[in-house]
Amino acid sequence: MEGFLQALAAGLLIGAVYGLMCVGLGLIFGVMRVINFAHGDFMMLGMYTAFYLFTAAGVQALFGNTVGPFVAILLAGPVLAVFGYFVHRALISHVSGTRTASLEGEGHYAQLILTLGIALILQNGGLIVFGSVLASIRTPLSSSAWELGPFLDMSIFLNKARSIDAIVSLAMMILLSLLITRTRIGKSLRAAADNPTAATYMGIDVDRAHRTAFALGCGITAIAGGLLATNYPFHPFVGLEYVIVMYAGVVLGGMGSIIGAFWGGMTIGLVQQMSTLILPTQLQNAAIFAVFLLIIFFRPQGFFGRMVERT
Amino acid sequence: MLRIEGLSAGYSAKPVLNDVSINVGAGQFVAIVGPNGAGKTTLFKTISGIVKPSGGRITFDGVDLLAVPPPQRAHFGIAHVPEGRQVFPSLTVMENLEMGAMTESGRRDWQANIESIFEWLPVLKERRNQFAGTMSGGQQQMLAIGRGLASSPKLLMLDEPSMGLAPSTADFIFERLIEIRRQSGLTMLLVEQRVAEALESADHGYVLEAGHVVLEGNNDTLRADDRVRKAYLGM
Repeated sequence: MEGFLQALAAGLLIGAVYGLMCVGLGLIFGVMRVINFAHGDFMMLGMYTAFYLFTAAGVQALFGNTVGPFVAILLAGPVLAVFGYFVHRALISHVSGTRTASLEGEGHYAQLILTLGIALILQNGGLIVFGSVLASIRTPLSSSAWELGPFLDMSIFLNKARSIDAIVSLAMMILLSLLITRTRIGKSLRAAADNPTAATYMGIDVDRAHRTAFALGCGITAIAGGLLATNYPFHPFVGLEYVIVMYAGVVLGGMGSIIGAFWGGMTIGLVQQMSTLILPTQLQNAAIFAVFLLIIFFRPQGFFGRMVERT
Repeated sequence: MLRIEGLSAGYSAKPVLNDVSINVGAGQFVAIVGPNGAGKTTLFKTISGIVKPSGGRITFDGVDLLAVPPPQRAHFGIAHVPEGRQVFPSLTVMENLEMGAMTESGRRDWQANIESIFEWLPVLKERRNQFAGTMSGGQQQMLAIGRGLASSPKLLMLDEPSMGLAPSTADFIFERLIEIRRQSGLTMLLVEQRVAEALESADHGYVLEAGHVVLEGNNDTLRADDRVRKAYLGM
């Protein structure tokens, strides 16, 4: 019982961060319908950006070892958002949006090749620039825990860094859902996702909406990456490990549902941690996909996906 | 207000519009009628910038419209109520109307506009928090019209508002359009396959066949024309 609650707590904490990570991708897919294979590598860049902001750019000196990492991680978001903005402008916009709206397949083939190419460049470029040594964003919080309880002679230990990671993820998620449900920009992003042509008739610049979504998606995933980096060491190819989890989360949540992607990521975090109760750790990812297949078998549209045709 | 001169347009190798000239004066209600595939929707898409013309000119209030990027055209006062309604299904009725009011004039007049829209189309008020995708076709059509009105347009372009609707619903939509026009004096350009209703509502009409304007005139002239009577009015 104690082990179960411990795994549940760990799953919820990591699930919140996975959820945020998936939301970054889900936003891009939901608004643009572009499959971004390079998203894991944007996350890798976010991890290194947070790392260097912390160690080399003076954040550590200014805010110390406890608060510093989180300041650096939050700053990595805007940095990657700007990076994503320019990647969209220079590359992605040529194979998506209004330029390809009238093409057969809406430019999906070109998008696949382009984002795969970007992924390769980022991975190998990362290897040249950052080297192959494992890096991590260390904070003393990573190796200490809060004790919950004891209730009925059971105590649950919550890793402090992971708890703060989860809280930051939830806060970001709340901010993002306010942005997309309450603000004019958010509503116009959803309108552009629903029907790009009609959105143009309303005076919404669909390509600009796509650029906003891409930048936001990169920034959000970068923050999630930085949060993961407080507990998991990383390297230039780390994106490959996460991008599959991201896609699984987005599909589970329902392709196109931005909030759904969060719950998809949460589910994956929970399954991953709970599976350690009955399976060896090496089979964590196998467990994720077994559960993934099971859910998709009974609910092919995902948790929040709608079975409606897009006009 | 809207002046189209010698417009030709089409998709890659297939020309759809051929040397089309149409004039819409301020305050006029102009109908463009014709059979399926005559190029009516393409004409609207060209005005909105979704289809690029291969020749000709479009001026709106003296501005060369073809030089204006498509998403900017709404800001000049053109509201396009598209074929098949095309409301935003995952947005609520109210949010759809807000999207209509993305233009500067729409934002400025929001309060007044929303009151008139709710008065003309009360079903939108009743259902303002419902997702647009869950409404019936007729309700979605009213929402599409309301969304167009929310931008405070100078010109309201309506592409087959009766499409796919029960005859009684279509009649109701026409009746609403006439009422909106009577109260607001808004300039309207209507494309329709229901020729009788369209010519009855409008004060000037064009007949478009296979990408050519074959006939134009005020509604009495057109309704009295033998070809129109035989081909479209079934008389």
